[in-house]
Amino acid sequence: MLSAMGMSSIEELFQDIPAEIRMTEALPLPPPQSEEEILADARRLLGANVALGDRVSFLGAGLYRNYVPASVFQLINRGEFLTAYTPYQPEVSQGMLQAMWEFQTLISELVGLPVANLSLYDGSTAAAEALTCSVRVHNRKATQKDTVYVSELTPPDRLSVMYNYCQGGGITIKLLRHHSDGTLDLNAVSEATGSCGVYVEQPNPLGILDGGLSQLKEIIGENTALIVAVQPVSLGLIEAPGNYGADIVVGEGQPLGSPITGGGPIYGIFACSKAYLRLMPGRIVGRSIDVDGKVAYCLTLSTREQHIRRHRATSNICTNETLIALMGAMHMALLGPEGLHTLAVRNMTACLLAKQKLSEIGSIAIPHQNNNHFNEFVVELPGSSKDCLAHLDSVGIIGGFDLSAWYPERKNWLLVTFTDQTSATQIELLVAHLAVWASAQGVRA
Amino acid sequence: MSNLFEHNGAKGQGYSQPAPVLPESSISLPPSLVRKNHARWPRLSEPEMVRHYTWLSKRNFGIDTGFYPLGSCTMKHNPRVNEVIAQLPGIADIHPHQPEHHIQGLLAIFHEMQYMLEVCSGMDQVTLQPVAGAQGEFTAVRCIQEYFHLRGEVQRTKVIVPDSAHGTNPASAAMCGFEIIEIPSREDGRIDLDALRAVADQTTAVMMITNPNTLGLFEPDIVEAASIVHGVGGQMYYDGANFNAILGITTPGLMGFDAVHFNLHKTFSQPHGGGGPGSGPIGVKSHLAEFLPGPLVKKRPPVGNESQMAIEDMWYGWYQPTHSIGKVQQWHGNAGAVIRCWAYYRRYGSGLRTMSEHAVLNANYLRHAIHKATKEAGVDSMVRDGAEAIVAKHEFTLSLQPAKESHDISAMDVAKGLLDKGYMAPTVYFPLVVPECMMVEPTETESKETLDTFATHFAEVLQIDAETLHAAPITTPVRRVDEVYAARNLCLRHPYDDE
Repeated sequence: MLSAMGMSSIEELFQDIPAEIRMTEALPLPPPQSEEEILADARRLLGANVALGDRVSFLGAGLYRNYVPASVFQLINRGEFLTAYTPYQPEVSQGMLQAMWEFQTLISELVGLPVANLSLYDGSTAAAEALTCSVRVHNRKATQKDTVYVSELTPPDRLSVMYNYCQGGGITIKLLRHHSDGTLDLNAVSEATGSCGVYVEQPNPLGILDGGLSQLKEIIGENTALIVAVQPVSLGLIEAPGNYGADIVVGEGQPLGSPITGGGPIYGIFACSKAYLRLMPGRIVGRSIDVDGKVAYCLTLSTREQHIRRHRATSNICTNETLIALMGAMHMALLGPEGLHTLAVRNMTACLLAKQKLSEIGSIAIPHQNNNHFNEFVVELPGSSKDCLAHLDSVGIIGGFDLSAWYPERKNWLLVTFTDQTSATQIELLVAHLAVWASAQGVRA
Repeated sequence: MSNLFEHNGAKGQGYSQPAPVLPESSISLPPSLVRKNHARWPRLSEPEMVRHYTWLSKRNFGIDTGFYPLGSCTMKHNPRVNEVIAQLPGIADIHPHQPEHHIQGLLAIFHEMQYMLEVCSGMDQVTLQPVAGAQGEFTAVRCIQEYFHLRGEVQRTKVIVPDSAHGTNPASAAMCGFEIIEIPSREDGRIDLDALRAVADQTTAVMMITNPNTLGLFEPDIVEAASIVHGVGGQMYYDGANFNAILGITTPGLMGFDAVHFNLHKTFSQPHGGGGPGSGPIGVKSHLAEFLPGPLVKKRPPVGNESQMAIEDMWYGWYQPTHSIGKVQQWHGNAGAVIRCWAYYRRYGSGLRTMSEHAVLNANYLRHAIHKATKEAGVDSMVRDGAEAIVAKHEFTLSLQPAKESHDISAMDVAKGLLDKGYMAPTVYFPLVVPECMMVEPTETESKETLDTFATHFAEVLQIDAETLHAAPITTPVRRVDEVYAARNLCLRHPYDDE
């Protein structure tokens, strides 16, 4: 190949790189490996991890271990999907374009809003983009300019993403108060009137299904965006936010179609009403026709995006999570409406059974017991969550999430999570070990 | 035509589910919480679902289908062992909130990836958290912003970007709140130092640039550019989209950059998945390291009973930088993508340089082969190099401006003609500085035979008459799609009968 070009050494191809910035030594990295050696190393290293499935796990807190049907994994590895780029040449990308248009429809129907994009990076970036979108849409009429309100329960890591996305636009994030029972203080929400957007979660970060959210839109009015983050599986049972006035719905799509995978790649859901369409972030597929009048799909409304609009784009997002969204679409297609309902019932009843059983342990409390919960709830322990988790870990149980990581003063709050993968036996195991640990705390006290 | 929404079979047949642990009647929700109507989702059996998506996949073109010389996208082969590894429970079934002692193997791989990217970029600290190239840009510019805030240099409100830059550069800087100063490039896409000197001053925060540039040419003046920006107290940001050209040969650190992002989905073969997921780690010099999003992975000798679980006598733990900007993704980034890219890098290890050498060799050879083939076919007057250069790097540009003027054949016509030959078309109309631009990037994983055949087919397309090419493609699942119709008649979801 070199001689065909009249060259004698590969060095000639790098003659344009000045000598003073050339590396003079080989990269200080291990020698090359064969496929077999790499796989063996991967098995050794990753095999040293404790997978959730190796133990009995009650850890959720935003990511949920739901079953993903085998056919999803088989189909996602078809190279035509896996190894394609963004569908900029629609004539040879109809498969992914149609699949994403279908994904938009499935999400749209799920959340009760007419428009959905084909994914953002995760739930936190979807939430952050929703806040900046609400300011783009509402700031002109807002009396509280460049201001959005966010539930005070929002986990700090999610809030941190919001701050990073909002600070550049000079957007102020204010916090919304909650009652001691974990529900939103609707009286305090009137403070948000005249702002650009209000962000809440259903279920909220403590697993609480807050019936009061259905009144929010009436309180904040049409010039403030109601942004609701959802656990998508819950929508098999729980009202779709679009049906109680949400303008934007976001969420972690992961429970539909994707393993947890250490927190990524997963996908963020973003759906909205038509008023937000031209100022929303992310790619959108439209149905069109080809020159013969045949149905054909292509990316549309691209003038919002960075490759056209550059620094005036609605977002910098380019690469998104298309393939994981496709896994979501496949899972939704297999579930159907009744399958989703059943899945939601399985998640909710697992949580319900656990709440019944755990409430029988005298030495622990369930501070928000009278609320409805989805997937998870708080237990208040007679000692620190940290100690409790260490004890449960020693008997092979991943006991939940230490809420002092979110709310430092809540040293004794443990968030315990139950999904469709939780069995009654596992719940009994948790109850038994928690009871033993809790009573030992009493003795020590 | 397979339409997902026309499937309306028996209820709940897609896959069977176990019974709930309590009967549904045990749930009692207030009316305000209860969903009144099901989502109007289709009802498919498993074979129907499998056939639908198999049919769709056959209407899609990936690297597995054929040669994919899409410039700026680095469409290299995606080794399948990487997919096998990414499905292992030690990554697929891991929760980001698990304690350190549950994830020593994962953290060891993270640490190795941080280190590998540090030595490949000449940076002092890498974070793996950003999940895409654009997010990497945003993250690095945010870190620089905080660095200047802490130093009290709040007057630095401007980011300089060449007009040939990827659109994400100005978009990411604008999201951080910076004013964008676009400077013109020279005709060959290279940086105009005089234009840079004219705008660089005490208000400059960052200059964002890619090298090789978007025309696939190395910037010989990069050191001078860095010294101009550093001279006024600004920072240099390296867009790593074109990293595939320089691994083991030079580093952004040697060129004078302070921060850099990687597109692991380009350089290290995370499959593009039809638009994502990606992974966009960033590396920074030590003065920016304490601003990175956390947590980062560090290692130390194990203490006490840690030694039972330690990997190769080291303990891997999380560490929070002192002035961290916080998070840009709620979890630990796209860990699954990082694992795949770890597997790809391990194939080369210390020999990563050969990967870039082969990528550059393939690009230059293909440029040569196209010129040779078009000359032999007598159509060499229709195409010229996008920029004069003795050598290109990992990609090169062609201009179809002569074909446009002499035959009314545009870059898009040639692109569509190539689709009919069974190829993915190269990138067209980017960068804008080249008229009727076609940007070609073969990557290191293609054979000489593939490149020769493509060159021949390229020359054949130029021999097709304009009228036929305007009608191309004709062999694809659909023909030219009406994008104007799509924008004017917005149909963004399935139209149900009652709508």
